[in-house]
Amino acid sequence: MLLATVRGAFAEAWANRQSFWLQVGAMAVNDLAWVAFWLLFFNRVANVRGWDVGRVLLLFAVLTTVAGVVLGVFANARRLGRLAAEGQLDAVLGLPVRPLPYLLLRRVEAANLGDVLFGGLLFAAAGAPSPQRVLLYVVGSIAGIVLLTGFLVTVGSLAFFGGNGEAGELGFHAILLLAGYPVDVFAGGMKLMLYTVLPAALVAAVPARLVDAFDVRAAGLLAGAAAIFALLGWATFTLGLRRYTSGAVWTRA
Amino acid sequence: MAVIEADALTKTFPLRGRRQACPVEAVRGISFSVERGERIAYIGPNGAGKSTSIKMLTGILHPSGGTATVLDLVPWRSRRALAARIGTLFGQRSQLWFELPPRRGFRLLGAIYGLPDDVARRRVDELGALLDAADLFDVPVRNLSLGQRMRCELAATLLHSPQVLFLDEPTIGLDLLAKQRFRDLVVRVNADQGATIFMTSHDVADIEQVARRVIVINHGVLIYDDEVSAMRRTLLATKLIEVAFERPPGQVCLAGVQVTESSTTGMKLVVDTTMRSIRDVLDTLLDRYPVADISVVDPPLEQVISAIYAAPRA
Repeated sequence: MLLATVRGAFAEAWANRQSFWLQVGAMAVNDLAWVAFWLLFFNRVANVRGWDVGRVLLLFAVLTTVAGVVLGVFANARRLGRLAAEGQLDAVLGLPVRPLPYLLLRRVEAANLGDVLFGGLLFAAAGAPSPQRVLLYVVGSIAGIVLLTGFLVTVGSLAFFGGNGEAGELGFHAILLLAGYPVDVFAGGMKLMLYTVLPAALVAAVPARLVDAFDVRAAGLLAGAAAIFALLGWATFTLGLRRYTSGAVWTRA
Repeated sequence: MAVIEADALTKTFPLRGRRQACPVEAVRGISFSVERGERIAYIGPNGAGKSTSIKMLTGILHPSGGTATVLDLVPWRSRRALAARIGTLFGQRSQLWFELPPRRGFRLLGAIYGLPDDVARRRVDELGALLDAADLFDVPVRNLSLGQRMRCELAATLLHSPQVLFLDEPTIGLDLLAKQRFRDLVVRVNADQGATIFMTSHDVADIEQVARRVIVINHGVLIYDDEVSAMRRTLLATKLIEVAFERPPGQVCLAGVQVTESSTTGMKLVVDTTMRSIRDVLDTLLDRYPVADISVVDPPLEQVISAIYAAPRA
């Protein structure tokens, strides 16, 4: 059933091939601009609190991979709050499916698949790939994907309990904005927040650090946090669904 | 044998962001039972609680009180099991993939319903013939008109041969011809497939052309439940005629016809169909008067509901 859902979502994204490749290409160019920014920046500044150009490009490779998969393949993760608040879950709930996995896989955003492609290429070019580093990059990215998806589902599901889904949008923008910076530029309470309630550090910085220098404690922290946010997302959505109030707008999920 | 049973079904929505405001009671203690193979029109004006009722009966919403069973399952506790045995079509929602042709969407839905490929393919062919829509199945959904899309949505809903069909305002937004065609299809599905039909609407014509039994709700309360034939005799015993004349027609005086508005160029008439047939009135008007244009419409639902409230209680 999930395979059929994925097939449908990709087939729909692929239906207009010209548009598909245009979006993928535009996103890759956008990511390239970021790389250019960091190269120019580190041309003037050798390093920022231990982060040099190589580490930052690795961070960016992991971030684009993680964000690309979450926003591209699980595209509804970002839209969940709006879907719940606007009562757009009716069609999904009319099918004999588990609503959360079905929703997450129901829509693919072609543009963000450009991020995935770019992330892989950037890692190949700047991540000094070796079998061990590739393995850590893949496993670390998977942990980041689980964590980011869980986080977005959690904040999106708050819409079941009140508001118009704005918590989901705010959470989405905040975590992606902060995940793109070397985590050590932050300190004190802010840094604590990035490892806990707004786990931006765990989305890309920690997986990137693990690729450079594997550490069992950091890996355990990442795996534990990913599991906690996955569980939190599932629980918030499941409990929230009981409070779903539906709506009356013409749309699709 | 009852396939749908509702007992004191109630739904209250909290008003978000307003601490002092009272919650909205969308459905207030509705009870009814539907037998296998029935065709029910569940009607009421906008905001009466029709969609809320249907969403509780399909497990989409959890009720605030009361209980219900559909095919012996409690919908909100066994939503997935129930969804495999019923079909749900919302007039404002789409189950199909917008960029893909319906046939591709049917294949994906077939997999979701666990239908083997050859069974799904055969079923799609059957539905194409039944709904006269086979030529639409290979056109991307985004290129279909609303009426064509609704026929494809109906096919998607029927793919897994549901025992009960819940249709929530399926004719909303359709033009007259598309509405008529859709109603005919629903009746045919009931006759050919034996599916029980439970259809919400605020269109009086849906009652007359689709249903055998009508349940009316207003402000969340069930106010009428009877055979359509009984309703036709009592509450739908009038039709409205609007006539435009080429020149002043003089006095219009016909038995069983009441003139409600009159000018030199037009008139509005109410026909008591228990006294005189519409065909007879139209023939007479066209024969005797200089008619430029003429139309027949059903009384608005609000008028039917007023008549229900005004009718003497048994």
